[in-house]
Amino acid sequence: MIVDGTAPAALPSQLPQSPPIRSRLALTIAGFGALAIASCVLAPLVGSSSISLRRALDSSIPFASNVDAQILFIARLPRVLAGALVGAALASAGVVFQALLRNPLATPFTLGVSAGASLGAMLVIILGGTLAVGPLSPVPAASLAGAGLAAAIVYALANGPRRVMSTTVLLLAGVTLNAFFSALILFVQYLADVAEVYRATRWLMGDLDVGSFTPIVAALPLIVIAGIIFARMPSALNLMGVDSDSAAARGVDVAATQRWAFFSASLATSAAVALAGPIGFIGIVVPHLVRLLVGVDHRIVLPASALFGATFLVISDMLARTLLAPVEIPVGIVTAIIGGPFFLWLLVREA
Amino acid sequence: MSYLVAHEVSYAYPRRGRAVAMPAVSEVTLAVERGSFTGLLGPNGCGKTTLLKMMAGILRPASGTVTLAGRALADMPRRVAARHVAVVPQDTHPAFDYTALEIVLMGRHPHLRPTQLEGPGDLTIAHQSLQSTGTLHLADRPFTSLSGGERQRVVIASALAQQPDVLLLDEPTASLDLGRQLEVAALLRRLSRENDVTMVMATHDLNLAASMCDTLALLRQGRLLHHGSTADVLTETAVRQLYDVEADVQFHQASGHLTVTPVRRIG
Amino acid sequence: MAARSRSLIARLRLRHLRLRLAGSISLPALRAGVVVAAVAFVAACRAAEAPSAATEPRIVSLVPAVTEMLFAIGAGRQVVAVSSYDHFPPEVSALPKVGALIDPDTERILSLRPTLVVVYGSQNDVEARFKKAGVATFNYRHGVTDAILGTLDTITALGAATGHEAQARELVVRMTSNLDKVRMAVAGRDRPRTLLVIGRQPKTLQGIYVAGGGGFLNEMLEIAGGQNVFEDIKRESVQPSSETLLRRAPDALLELRATEPAGNYPGGDLEVWNTLASIPAVRNQKVQALVGDHVVVPGPRLAEGAEAIARALHPDAFK
Repeated sequence: MIVDGTAPAALPSQLPQSPPIRSRLALTIAGFGALAIASCVLAPLVGSSSISLRRALDSSIPFASNVDAQILFIARLPRVLAGALVGAALASAGVVFQALLRNPLATPFTLGVSAGASLGAMLVIILGGTLAVGPLSPVPAASLAGAGLAAAIVYALANGPRRVMSTTVLLLAGVTLNAFFSALILFVQYLADVAEVYRATRWLMGDLDVGSFTPIVAALPLIVIAGIIFARMPSALNLMGVDSDSAAARGVDVAATQRWAFFSASLATSAAVALAGPIGFIGIVVPHLVRLLVGVDHRIVLPASALFGATFLVISDMLARTLLAPVEIPVGIVTAIIGGPFFLWLLVREA
Repeated sequence: MSYLVAHEVSYAYPRRGRAVAMPAVSEVTLAVERGSFTGLLGPNGCGKTTLLKMMAGILRPASGTVTLAGRALADMPRRVAARHVAVVPQDTHPAFDYTALEIVLMGRHPHLRPTQLEGPGDLTIAHQSLQSTGTLHLADRPFTSLSGGERQRVVIASALAQQPDVLLLDEPTASLDLGRQLEVAALLRRLSRENDVTMVMATHDLNLAASMCDTLALLRQGRLLHHGSTADVLTETAVRQLYDVEADVQFHQASGHLTVTPVRRIG
Repeated sequence: MAARSRSLIARLRLRHLRLRLAGSISLPALRAGVVVAAVAFVAACRAAEAPSAATEPRIVSLVPAVTEMLFAIGAGRQVVAVSSYDHFPPEVSALPKVGALIDPDTERILSLRPTLVVVYGSQNDVEARFKKAGVATFNYRHGVTDAILGTLDTITALGAATGHEAQARELVVRMTSNLDKVRMAVAGRDRPRTLLVIGRQPKTLQGIYVAGGGGFLNEMLEIAGGQNVFEDIKRESVQPSSETLLRRAPDALLELRATEPAGNYPGGDLEVWNTLASIPAVRNQKVQALVGDHVVVPGPRLAEGAEAIARALHPDAFK
């Protein structure tokens, strides 16, 4: 259509009068929410041993002697809830990191937060610390501390006073820290006893069998805080995802949004890794799958990814504990087996 | 009436490791009249993009102020300022695969509360903006699948969706071929005339500026050399001062505006 | 007949006379010769005992279990260096530490001029290096089936390799008899279904490792009158989930630890098990911790370890 100096005709009347965003958002949340609820209800009913649901819910049997109830409420339910929480946290952190780094291939682990968390956990497992921090066992506490340290280092390197964060510096700092901490992890393992090395390696594969609700309750406030910060960001992330200058011109405080994005996504990732170890591929597979289904508007992608991340991890853990029962596959391996080929397919598709 | 005014603004980009920052703009005063079409001309690195960004509120001047209808831009919340001033950047490379309509709808951001979603009214304005740039039929196409000219028109539509009084454009036709250039030029002229949008366009294309702008501001090395009507400012002396080029400036009958034909480089 | 014997005696007398004559001249020389011969004989015997050159044996051990064995069979004086993870018997604290499974310091070991180095069965390249340097090696293999028998065989072989066969034999006999004593003390009693926990993340129920149906821990448990609740999984260690633990419902639970973790309070953090209330061991308060190397090292103190486990499971059998 060649544009000359003439005024445009009136708008065609068959255009939709109601914006798609509202209905799409409602539909998406309803759909993914239903999936998440369904998986959280189904997963505790499935396991390596069969339980009688009727016996488990029979309140006349004292809880302390009701094996079926104990399995359902102590062994399986915390696991499913931990899976939902960690899956939601990692998937949404993935979306935010991808927006921050303007790169759909970024993951929550790209900037070294997970490597810091792993190093903290390694040191405690191998050096055998037993200092407890309140209700937290020493390993999650050290893991959180390590993650915080890594995030602080990356933040300090990439930040100048009131300057917009350079995504290049952010990426380089994060990748370098990743490599450095990974080397330290290997070194610590090298110095350790064989049994401790095995335990440390096992931690790195991810474990949702948290054993009680206490670790979940400890991680919950951190993830909720991150979630609250996430809730105010999607519109700004959209604008920044198109053009940084235009976003600034339209009223987005780009520097502040970047800082909040980095902080909240690192917080969610740290809490998730401290709770269940570094479970990979959720932060990249889930956002991509969601984008394929609902488009790239962050206002839809962010909540949908959180819900789908929960579903994804709960189902993965369900598979992990039933496929080769009674042997349990570490959940990080299941997510990698599903996620790896998918990711390769994505790359082939993009090329 | 002076609508958007930059008073004695200066800016210097911080240089890593160097003690003294390189000044990009030095004490420039530029008053833009309501309804005018001003061209910012000058060679590469003369500071026109920096000046434009300061006038848009993207950069804070190191000294001096920018006022909009008498009020200092720095005193206004960015959102409020964005309802009056819109920016069309030179290149737009989205990191994600937004559709044209989604990108245009982002122009409604200054009119919405932080977590508010667009309503039917916003959608209508977005459609109208696309219509006025002739890109309505591209609404559901991914932005990255559009040609250069189509992209630029969508970005202009996005800026129009802000319903601004002033449109600041940074080299809007730099990456376009001749045909697309004329398209965009005609579009901008029409918008300026009919929609009463004040335009400030940074460009180094002298002929384009001559065809579109009624006012010109010439910048060199961060300083304002001349500011006035096109006919007064666009002279052979000016060209020589700006570009070190000897040129022939003539009124071209068929096109209806001044043309600049370079003859040779000096020095 | 008489004439022949008479001439024999006469000949002997003559010889005796000759000898006496010879003796009166060279008896000191003869005595010296005998002493020299005796010394040479003993030296030759010594040389035949020692694995290499005619020097005092110098042993380096990279395996803590074998270090204990060496000291138990009287070869302790010959040990010149131990692994980084050795702390029993107390004498080893004075000895240099030269690494272990992953990081043996071969240079340092060779600098100590060892005559025998005890290596792990999987340390093939390290072993090859020592062989090239002309140093004898003792290969330690850790068994999953018949593990205790394997340990006793190791002690015997060690005795042969270090010239302490008698003491080794004595130790094996003593250990066997002690193990039998434990077996007899608990004979005929009910064998509780037992969970042997060998590792756990402190203060939680995460990262639990238990002894499986293979290896010396399982065999010790059997001797001590217990039945491994994971007997069917023929591995040395198993990592069960909470669900599996609840399902297997052991009657007794023993946590085996080499040392008491620093900063721990009496009783440790065993209260974390209270979460799994339906496990009979928890309900009947049969959750205990056993601390010490003797319960986790497959060495000379196996019998003590088995007895410790037996006392925990059947306290009334040892009154």
